[in-house]
Amino acid sequence: MNNRNKKNKVLTIAYLFPTALILLVFIIAPIIYTFYLSFFNWNLIAPTKDFVGLENYLSIFTDPVNRKIILNTVFYILLLLVLNFLVPYFISIIVKFFISKMQTAYKIIFFIPSLFSLVVGAMLFSWIMNPVSGPVAFFMRNLGLTLPNWTNSGAMAVVVICLITNWKVFGYNFVLLLTGLGSVPQNIIDATKMDSIPKWRMIWDIVFPLNKSIAFYVLILTIVQGLQYVFTPISVITQGGPYYGSSNALYHTYLNAFVLYKTGNASALAIVTFVIFLVLLYLEIKFVEGRTSRYE
Amino acid sequence: MKGERADMNKLKESGWHFLLIVICLVLLLPVLFMISNSFKTLQDSYHSMLQLIPTHPTFSNYLTLDKQINLFRIVWNTFFMATIVTLGKIITGLLAAYAFKYFSFKGKKFFYFAFISTIFVPFTVVMIPNFLVIFKLNLLNTALGVALPQLCDATGIMLFLKAMDKIPNSLIESVRIDDIPSYKILKDIVVPILRPNIISIGAIFFINSWNEYVWPTLILKDKNSFTLPLALQNYISSEGGTNFPLAMALSTIMIIVPLLIYLIFQRYILNSISSSGLK
Amino acid sequence: MSNKVILELNDVTKNYKKTNIIRKMNLQVKEGEFLVMLGPSGCGKSTTLRMIAGLEAPSTGEILIDGRNSEKISSFERNIAMVFQDYALYPNMTVYQNLEYSLKVHKVKKEERQKRLEAILETLNLTAYRDRLPGQLSGGQKQRVALGRGMVKQSKIFLLDEPLSNIDVQLREKARDEIQALHEKNHQTIVYVTHDQLEAMALGDRIAIINDGIIQMIDTPDNIYNHPTNLFVAQFIGTPKINTLEVTYDQGKLLFNEEVVLSNTERLRKLALASNRLCLGIRPEHVIVKKERTDLLDLPAQVETVVDYGRYQQLTLNIKGNQSIKAIITNSVFVSGDKVYFSFVAEKILLFDYENKKNLEN
Repeated sequence: MNNRNKKNKVLTIAYLFPTALILLVFIIAPIIYTFYLSFFNWNLIAPTKDFVGLENYLSIFTDPVNRKIILNTVFYILLLLVLNFLVPYFISIIVKFFISKMQTAYKIIFFIPSLFSLVVGAMLFSWIMNPVSGPVAFFMRNLGLTLPNWTNSGAMAVVVICLITNWKVFGYNFVLLLTGLGSVPQNIIDATKMDSIPKWRMIWDIVFPLNKSIAFYVLILTIVQGLQYVFTPISVITQGGPYYGSSNALYHTYLNAFVLYKTGNASALAIVTFVIFLVLLYLEIKFVEGRTSRYE
Repeated sequence: MKGERADMNKLKESGWHFLLIVICLVLLLPVLFMISNSFKTLQDSYHSMLQLIPTHPTFSNYLTLDKQINLFRIVWNTFFMATIVTLGKIITGLLAAYAFKYFSFKGKKFFYFAFISTIFVPFTVVMIPNFLVIFKLNLLNTALGVALPQLCDATGIMLFLKAMDKIPNSLIESVRIDDIPSYKILKDIVVPILRPNIISIGAIFFINSWNEYVWPTLILKDKNSFTLPLALQNYISSEGGTNFPLAMALSTIMIIVPLLIYLIFQRYILNSISSSGLK
Repeated sequence: MSNKVILELNDVTKNYKKTNIIRKMNLQVKEGEFLVMLGPSGCGKSTTLRMIAGLEAPSTGEILIDGRNSEKISSFERNIAMVFQDYALYPNMTVYQNLEYSLKVHKVKKEERQKRLEAILETLNLTAYRDRLPGQLSGGQKQRVALGRGMVKQSKIFLLDEPLSNIDVQLREKARDEIQALHEKNHQTIVYVTHDQLEAMALGDRIAIINDGIIQMIDTPDNIYNHPTNLFVAQFIGTPKINTLEVTYDQGKLLFNEEVVLSNTERLRKLALASNRLCLGIRPEHVIVKKERTDLLDLPAQVETVVDYGRYQQLTLNIKGNQSIKAIITNSVFVSGDKVYFSFVAEKILLFDYENKKNLEN
């Protein structure tokens, strides 16, 4: 028996080793190293690093560009929540409760764009929204209007970039949320029908509470993944412009690190982003993992 | 006179179907136009931009692409990198999931939690050190350099674990009583039972890796090492001078593989995505 | 029970894709009646209930509630309550909120709500659990909450879909008595679905036996047991199952393996049978077993097994032609291997047509 225990121990380590090694080398250690770098001024190449204490962190809140970046990031989050969470949630409710046919067909079709690269999405939307040669501009010209050059406006660029990620993420989030709605037992829904509860009232009083955990999971995912997803269209279409107007914390980190070679600033911004994500993770655990057991 | 209420409901339902079909069109029409325009000349694409079936279909964009870039090389790079990443993620994920599912050890909960939390690590917080490591290992401009940090995946572990939940515990226990070594249990029992899950999870890995843009842009600077998304990015100009039919031709090449995978494994893939959300 | 028909099914059919679940069902339920639908699983009884509830629409035919086509009236007007098999309590609401919810949504005044709820909590013995979530209740308590949720609406028709199948055997009888007591008190019209014949026998004013999407028989428990319309009903009701023997009729006599089991009675003469094959049904408690042959109609047999249930004993008898029949007797003196004689209680013998299995005397 003892021998077997020992053998199991060795096996456990052997099975976990590949994953653990990669996580350690490419995630855990880098986080620590980035944290370390955030206290220095460095340019990624020079042999020496200057210790500057908290200066890099202070600059996040004092430097006007950084402040703009933070505001943009908040704007991104709000837009992503509406486009990538609320809209798919609404549509999944429609598909689940308000139609009786073709549910699977919609699921299959909605999911298709999520198979494609965001670079393709970025290319497509820069064509569709092209102020000179795109179809939207074409239609507007026919109506006597002109499509403004949205790449010149930070806010409009942000909206278009969010629409690109929405095009990609919509189906994916829709499938997740629809699955969540599907796990509300049919007989509970039948029971509300017997009680003659109006549909929206039933959704509000029964479905939302029961679906809270998966909805919250998708909500957190929308923020965490969304902010990373928008990186691609920013990089492909606007490079953060005009004048940082469409940049966000993640793109700005990249810009500092690999274009401006301000490694310290980049690291500090990365750490701040990480802390925000950790807060979201904490919320996820508190809401999602904690809630589910109560209804068992 | 089959009741006004029933008619009313039917009308409402048709309204919803209309909305949903509009959404389908919004999501798919861009792709259809992309494919269509990739068979038009630059001029045609501008003058008959909303014509779904090209009047003078031409392969010229594809031929131009082939002249301008080493298309075969780029497709191969993408395929090679995605394959390494997929295989790596499947192997590490299966092993780790097996350990979490069937072994008891100290700190299991903590380790599992640590693994899963990595979903919440933004790539910016690891990209500088990882870039330096790949640079030091002299792996810049190689598929291995792109693949190495991605050889494991927390979502994968989670999905494999969920799939293993459907294997009855008694089955594994009955094999264990016979003193069958665990690598054999994994190979002869777990893997065959989970085959559909492995295929669908692998398909998801492959598609994601095929489309990957952010990390490869940092590692792959040499045009010969480019993957498809990087090559496509080079055809998109932020100043507005993009040759769209050309970019669309490259995009069309790029979406064929994920589309084919989806066509074949659609049901499995959707099931796996669904299960990732269920606690 | 009044004579007013409150619920009526006219030629109702239900198809799922291509399968026929319900075929031309006709049914009338009177106000205040306790009707039990009994049948094996998959027979269509739950589908029928769901159609009455308005959760599913019949493919053809119509369901009339109080004389009005149920498809044309809203669920609120339909005024039907239903208890689901696994209770379907709202998991995010307390017991009190579960009971209150529908009244609240339909704007019943707060004082009225409170009054009704207190009474129901009291009747169902749930007062102590009013603030618990369904997840914190036992099966029996959940079942009572489900019952209560149906009761608060004070609906005209109360549907119960296997309400007792998910609670422990020990509690089931108590719960059954409670349902019966409630019915006796409120005289609500109840349609009750079950696959448990004891439940059906104990509760129903009438029982509808359903199989293959058809009502095989609808009658009082007594008639169903003693005068089943066909062999299916006879076999479905009663444990152990009714004995069936293939017999032939010949000149005023019933012959089993060429030996007479019944002869020259008034009953046989009335049937005016031609000489042919029949099915004979006899319930195990109507088989007489004795040590000695005392009558011409006694036939020999050998005791194969004896199972002692305390109150009675169940014998399996080996008879001629390599067949066996079951007998239930009290104070048995037999052991397995005994040579015995058996006969049937003549007036309890049931006769079915060999081809269509219908009771020849109905």
